Amino acid sequence: MKPYVAISQMLLGAFLLVAANAQAQGGESRDGFEWLKAMIVAEHQTDYSGVFVYQHENNVDTSRITHVIEGDGEYERLESLDGPRREIVRHDGHVWGHHDSGRVQVDSQQGMDKFSSLLPEQLSALSTNYQAKLLGMERVAGYNAQVILFQPNDNWRYSHKIWVHTDSGLLLKAAVLGAKSKLIEQYTFSQLQIGGKIDRSWVKPSASTGLNGSDLHQQMEAAKTEIPVNSGWVVDVLPPGFKKTREIQRLMHGNHEPVTQIVFSDGLSAISIFIELDDGDEDDMESLSSWGAMSLYHKVVGKHLFTVVGEVPAYTVMRTLDSIRHSGK
Amino acid sequence: MKQEISALMDGELFEDEVGYFLDRLKQDPAARKNWAAYHLIGDVLRQPEHIHCDLSAKVRERMHDEPTVFAPRGHAAKQKMRAFALSAAASLSAIGVVAWMSLQIGPEAAPQLAMQQNAMRPVNAHIQGKTNDYLRAHQEFSPGTNMSGSAYFIRTVSYGADEIQMRNNPGKQ
Repeated sequence: MKPYVAISQMLLGAFLLVAANAQAQGGESRDGFEWLKAMIVAEHQTDYSGVFVYQHENNVDTSRITHVIEGDGEYERLESLDGPRREIVRHDGHVWGHHDSGRVQVDSQQGMDKFSSLLPEQLSALSTNYQAKLLGMERVAGYNAQVILFQPNDNWRYSHKIWVHTDSGLLLKAAVLGAKSKLIEQYTFSQLQIGGKIDRSWVKPSASTGLNGSDLHQQMEAAKTEIPVNSGWVVDVLPPGFKKTREIQRLMHGNHEPVTQIVFSDGLSAISIFIELDDGDEDDMESLSSWGAMSLYHKVVGKHLFTVVGEVPAYTVMRTLDSIRHSGK
Repeated sequence: MKQEISALMDGELFEDEVGYFLDRLKQDPAARKNWAAYHLIGDVLRQPEHIHCDLSAKVRERMHDEPTVFAPRGHAAKQKMRAFALSAAASLSAIGVVAWMSLQIGPEAAPQLAMQQNAMRPVNAHIQGKTNDYLRAHQEFSPGTNMSGSAYFIRTVSYGADEIQMRNNPGKQ
């Protein structure tokens, strides 16, 4: 990462933080979107370590998350505390996974947006598609939190409720709500340390995973297979406000045939559409599944396998999939 | 028997009596029922707002309501809708819960729960691998990833281990 990029990002972040603080002190009228803005900045700029509980359907998982800023950027570590030991470390768009036998999975997520703030277009999409309501103050993990509800203008997407620490701006709790406020998934800190002395011994992932630097580099280079394209695939039925943010070709499942991925976002949720040639795999029959807020639907249509994934209700991914067509025909 | 239950709960039985009493409790379902009822009464008297009632029947009921995983194979079944668990991790934690519950519920209920668990085992590691590929590819570009940082990756941390196992075991694919 080029140092000046990091510095400019930090400056931008600091500026936004200052701006947000000024606003909060000045008018006391920070609205929901400004809270969100401040939160995103805080998430990227703060050292913290805590234990959180993630609930979806009837499952409850407890994990520890640690986030520290080092000279070369952010490091994040997520460890499962229940069941088999699972751990991932994230840094600069790369993800390392470990588990008990010490084997390592290296992932490159260079597509990951490294912006530590809300982009203006994202903010305008957000305010068009959601209403932000301030729901007062609550206490989470011993901290005071502002509760904000982002309520969609239609039933194509979920409501998002967030609890933001009033001092640091960190996200303390987040819930995704479906129709009639049904809880779809929830993530809550039960314990959180903000700043102070935080264990950083895990920060050098290449040392702890036993991979040497060049191996790591090679694997990352190999993973860089995303090419922007204009595939000619279009979707006729999308929930209002979802705009195309990306259209790429990438290699997946170790195949040589590239997969087209088109991403649409309404500022808070995203829908990805994957189009690939049907390889006759009998497992690729029509299927619908969901996990927490994530829904996934795939289906063979003609010679192609379509897959639609997103943090939206199941009927949204289904309707989206059924409206995929090629504009060339 | 009822007097003994009451005495045990109040800590008024001698050690050898406790052993004898617990043995009887193991063998006699009626005694266990009394034991539970006495505790319920005690709970109600002490803190009426937190009543601990018999969960075993409710847990069993909930397990019956769990979705069954269908794994039809072959092209003939192509039009059939299939529901499957997105991650083996979910079932791993479910097994943990089952183990925990069997401690809570007692020996007679546990085998039943374990059998149900087997019936719910996810279908096929290959499908899950593919599914995870899509999930991860999607998460790269989702605004949620940018907003809640690693916390958003909770879905990823759950499938990380499965995928590693798969990669180490190409025979499975």
